Formats: sequence, C-alpha cells, structure tokens
Amino acid sequence: MPQDSRFAALDDGALARRIAAAGAASPDSAAESELYRRLAPRVRLYGLRHLRDRDAAADLVQHVLLLTLETLRAGKLREPERIVSFVLGTSRMTVLEMRRGTWRRETLLETWGETAEAFEAPEPLALDPDRLARCLEQLNERERSVVVLSFFADKQADEVGAELSISAGNVRVIRHRALGRLRECMGAGEEEK
Amino acid sequence: MTCKNPIGFETLVACWLREMPENSETALEEHLFGCAHCTERLEGVAALASGVRAVVMDGKVTMVVSAPFLDAMKQAGLSLREYRVQPGGSVNCTIATDDDAVISRLQAPLTGVERIDLVRVRSGVESELRVADVPFNVDAGEVLVVPSAAWLKAMPAFTMQMRLIAVGKAGEKQIGEYTFNHSPS
Repeated sequence: MPQDSRFAALDDGALARRIAAAGAASPDSAAESELYRRLAPRVRLYGLRHLRDRDAAADLVQHVLLLTLETLRAGKLREPERIVSFVLGTSRMTVLEMRRGTWRRETLLETWGETAEAFEAPEPLALDPDRLARCLEQLNERERSVVVLSFFADKQADEVGAELSISAGNVRVIRHRALGRLRECMGAGEEEK
Repeated sequence: MTCKNPIGFETLVACWLREMPENSETALEEHLFGCAHCTERLEGVAALASGVRAVVMDGKVTMVVSAPFLDAMKQAGLSLREYRVQPGGSVNCTIATDDDAVISRLQAPLTGVERIDLVRVRSGVESELRVADVPFNVDAGEVLVVPSAAWLKAMPAFTMQMRLIAVGKAGEKQIGEYTFNHSPS
C-alpha cells in the first residue's frame, strides 16, 4: 500500500493535527488511513519484539491505532504533534496489559465496527525461504549455530555463548559477521553498520 | 525517507533480541517510533529472524545443534525422530511424512576434546563434506546432527557415513564412525 502523495509533505504530527481538526463529525478518512499506514509497522514491530507472537502483535496494532484515532477525533490529545509519544506510551501500556492477561480487545472493535477494516497496514517484509536456506548453508557451522540460536531459539548473546562455550562478546562478533554475510548473500547490500 | 542519526545494524539486532539495557532500549524505542527509515531497517532484521525460523521449521538446512537447541525445536512443536548410534555402529533409518526433523545422535568419548570436525560422505558421491568446529556436548558424550528434512524426504535409499574427528594441538584423531542406511518411508 503506497504512501498517499497528498500527505507526502506532512510529518506525523501535522497529519495528527489534521485528523484532530476534522474531528468525529466529519472525519478525514484519507488522513486517518495515511496515519494508520505509517504507524502500523512501528507498533507491529514493538509488539513482535515484546510479545513474540504475530497474532498478538496484529491485535496490538489494531487496538493502539484505533484508540489513537479515536483520541484524535475526540480532541482529547492536547498536543497532536506529539502523536508518536502517545502511540508509544499506549503500546507500552497495552503490552503490559496483554502480559498480565487483563487486556480486552472487544471494546474498541465494537465502537469502530467495519470501519476498522478499512485501515490497511503494509504487509511485513518476507524473504525468499529457499534463497535464505542456501545462504545459511554457506555460513560455517559456528556462524550458523549462532544465527539459528539467536533467531530460532530466540536467545541472547550470553545464552548463546553458554551453549557454545564462548563468550557473549565473541557471540556478538560471530553474529555480526554471519548476519553481514547473510545480508550480502540475500542481496541486501552493505549499508551502514 | 531518511534519518540524520540512523541506528546501526548491530544495535537493531540487539534491540530485536532485547539485549539492551532498559534505559538504552527506551531511548531507542522513542527513536524508532518517530523514524520510518529506522523502522524499515528494523523490519529487515525482523524479516531475517522470521525467515530463519521458517527455514528451520521447514527443515531446509542441515545443522549440527546443541541439546538446548533441540529443546527449542521441541518447544516449537516440531515432531522429531531420533537415532542414537555408537562409534562403529550403523542404523536403518527413515523419515516419515509427518516428521519435521530427524536427529542423529552420534555418541563419542568427548572428554578433553577441544574441537570436533564432522565428515559426511554419501554412497555414490565421491567427495566428502567436512564441517569444521561443530557444537558438541562433553557431558552427554554426543554430537547432534540434524539433516535437512526437506532434502531427506526427497531422497531415495542411500547410505551416509559420518565420522567425528577430534582436532587439537597434537593433530587429528578419528573418534567415531557411524553408518546410516536410509530408506524412504
């Protein structure tokens, strides 16, 4: 879903001000969709990092962004230009509630109904699995072990080090080198490190 | 879409793996939420992570793994078939349609060993494949080999020999040879 060119010159805060100015009586649907499109990946990645669950992250995106739009429409956000702080704070609180098991998803969806379905988030980036497998095969065994322990078993450097009998610092060095080789193999090119 | 102070790739990886101290992570999250450029780069790390996970789940790579990694595979719900083989031993083996992975447990005396190389040679294929410096478990006395399940499922009957070579300052010493007689299920 490409960026709406009408809003290219507007930063997130300006977009939020525009939504707040339109209010709930005559909502600016295009601006709302654009804000949703921009913020959805940020909230989803936050959810994935903290919840490690794709469905829970998707729920988080919908909940946080509907709440954000509702707050903007109602004029309850005093400084719309600080929209990003609001979204981050709401994401943090919602993740805490999700972890405690006190979060309920129904309330907002009841309010928004089918309108919520009109908002689209960009599809997450997906790599070619066969190519990635070939690239993984090209790593040496220690590099491959570090990469799969990190990303499959979801282990931090000190845990990986304990399993492979090497230091956490050494794990980070191997991981950095291995991921660099993987990205190069996958055609990501050399960006800034 | 640019960023004046882009977050380094290694920092993004540490962020993804939640390795950062809390105060650094908070500052980083604030930056990420306000920055589409760095969010897109973190998306790249996330894609790599989910891609690696999918490749392992789908059995697309051959790996030598640690015991905790095997536990992680079980926790992920993978159905594992295991064969334990003593040095000099052989086993008739297969992989069923509903198996996600086959684990070859190569038993060996590993006390005092500094480094292990694994050599694999398949019947009908002249060249050996030597994998240097593989993970091993001294206490359990074993090396865990996980051949690509996708590859195994596509293979006709064949024999695979594996050898474990201890590598140290004094040189190399073979500490075990194992034969796997594979047949399709």
